Amino acid sequence: MKLWVAREGHDTEVEFEARGDRLWLTIEGRRLEADCRRLWDGEVYSVLIEGRSHEVRVSSPGGRLEVTLDGATIPVEVRHPLEKLLQATGPAARASGRETVVAPMPGLVVALRVRPGDVVAAGQPVVVVEAMKMQNELATRGGGVVTDVLVEERTPVSAGQALVRIAQAGS
Amino acid sequence: MSRRPKIARVRRVLIANRGEIAVRVIRTLRERGITSVAVFSEPDREALHVLLADEAYPIGPGPARESYLNPERVLETARRVKADAVHPGYGFFAENAAFAHTCAEAGLLFIGPPADVIARLGDKLAAREIARRAEVPLIPASPGPLAGVDEAGKAARAIGFPVMLKAAAGGGGKGMRIVSTEAELAAAWELARGEARAAFDDDRIYVERFIERPRHVEAQILADAKGHVAFLGERECSVQRRHQKLLEETPCPAFDPATRSAFADAACRIAKTAGYVGVGTVEFLLDADGHFYFLEVNTRLQVEHPVTEMVTGLDLVAEQIRVAEGDALWFGGDPPPPRGCAIEARILAEDPANHFLPSAGRIDRLRLPQGPGVRNDSGVTQGFQVPVFYDSLLSKLIVWGPDREIARRRLLRALDETVLEGVHHNLVFHRWLAAHPAFASARLSTRFLEEHFTAAALEPSPEAAEVALIAAALHARHERAAVALPAENRGRSPWRWAERGRGPGARR
Repeated sequence: MKLWVAREGHDTEVEFEARGDRLWLTIEGRRLEADCRRLWDGEVYSVLIEGRSHEVRVSSPGGRLEVTLDGATIPVEVRHPLEKLLQATGPAARASGRETVVAPMPGLVVALRVRPGDVVAAGQPVVVVEAMKMQNELATRGGGVVTDVLVEERTPVSAGQALVRIAQAGS
Repeated sequence: MSRRPKIARVRRVLIANRGEIAVRVIRTLRERGITSVAVFSEPDREALHVLLADEAYPIGPGPARESYLNPERVLETARRVKADAVHPGYGFFAENAAFAHTCAEAGLLFIGPPADVIARLGDKLAAREIARRAEVPLIPASPGPLAGVDEAGKAARAIGFPVMLKAAAGGGGKGMRIVSTEAELAAAWELARGEARAAFDDDRIYVERFIERPRHVEAQILADAKGHVAFLGERECSVQRRHQKLLEETPCPAFDPATRSAFADAACRIAKTAGYVGVGTVEFLLDADGHFYFLEVNTRLQVEHPVTEMVTGLDLVAEQIRVAEGDALWFGGDPPPPRGCAIEARILAEDPANHFLPSAGRIDRLRLPQGPGVRNDSGVTQGFQVPVFYDSLLSKLIVWGPDREIARRRLLRALDETVLEGVHHNLVFHRWLAAHPAFASARLSTRFLEEHFTAAALEPSPEAAEVALIAAALHARHERAAVALPAENRGRSPWRWAERGRGPGARR
């Protein structure tokens, strides 16, 4: 899995490689072992990078990522479609009893995992969209019954485009 | 000079203040079995001083003038709840002679010097006159306030440029202007006068010699009502920004025993000449040649008093109460000798990366440092909404060490341990300062920031920047996993801990 992170306009690629419980990442040509635990108070992580211990907070005020460590707050961008997806399918969608899975950024539908009438569990992937060299499994937040599949495989989609509609169980 | 009759022990003390100093006073009151009575403005309902006091009463809305600085509200509350004494803390009414006088009229013991002493020392020219009578060195200055810019020019030429224009009623750096050449004088005169009028409602200005790279050193004194005065050591407070102290330490690294002894004598002579009673601070400037000059007397407990407490073991609030009750100094003429070195860093809600502008907001996370030689005097808690109405001091980090270098390293360690999030603050600034070679070697002056500080000092190190990038990537990966595999989210359930605690491996 690859991600692009940027600070002050400078892009860096981070590649992850998980094996069992262990995780390595490659950044700027160096391969580092990392261990990351989310702490009890929510946005805070204990991060061990090659054993060096860092306590960091990752928050997203107004949708932008900020990393706080050692008392300093550093704005960072992560090029990953997920943040937008979470916003699009977040509380507003759930409040209506219906959920729409949308494309978080322009891409290509590479796989449909559901058909109308399927019952899906919360968190179950429903469609795979390839964007920015990554295949992103887009999952339903709340689960329910698939009412509409609005796209076909191998078709390009634009950011925000509705892909799958789900009626939430019990609504 | 006023003599007070010995009074009964105080039983109920109203603290006419808020924030860390109110908390500080409450602690001593509780240790001494005295009922602590807090007052609070509307936005301070959940403040730490309200939580820790024995009793707490509302005194009005957020703006200080309508609550903490409203003498009628404060005194009416003190009478209604039957307080027998008022502790003013610092700021607000601490150096307000009229308030101290009104307290006395109302039969309330004001825990501070007598009103007439506050009034005399609060006027800078009157204070200089006291210092002159006490034969304490003064910065060469005009004999009194100046009638106009022409007279200021004449005085400045007699003293020699550069000079400083100063408000007679001044304090906190307001109404002060440095004038390097005669050409700058007219403009500076108007600015200083305007500032003085706005800040103190008093536009009397005098002129004194500007000392180029002075250190700010002050004497902690304690005087009883029987005329005994003790010197409790000095504090160096040279690291300042626009005349606001940021870090203080004791002892002064520039003092030798002979200088300290002369300095102590000078401070005590001023206190005796002024008829001082209580804890007080005599401030001096120390020039590059080791000569000190009287600056002013602060007739209150200082923000930086804990460094003195750390090296002497004294509780200065307890001492204030004792002498206000009429007791003689319990240690006679022999105060506890200081031991080691203490440093205080003021943790302020302000943004060093953005012109040190004050910052309000909710404190999302707070974890104060602990361990050997560390003291925190904090006025806030996690979750507290820092109001916009008051000064920006959140907490004071005080460290002690057997010598300055150990104390400095301890300060760095404690700063690294501190977690404070939700408001802008100056922890990164303090870390820069404590690590700076000029600070480490105690090459200090009141121009330290102008000479050494640039915004680049606050830039994250390359290592920190890389950790930030990695952490953001790990976060994004974590979020992705949480959506794809919601089962992992169960780890966030509070019940998991409870279940684990009851598991077969758990021991009680």
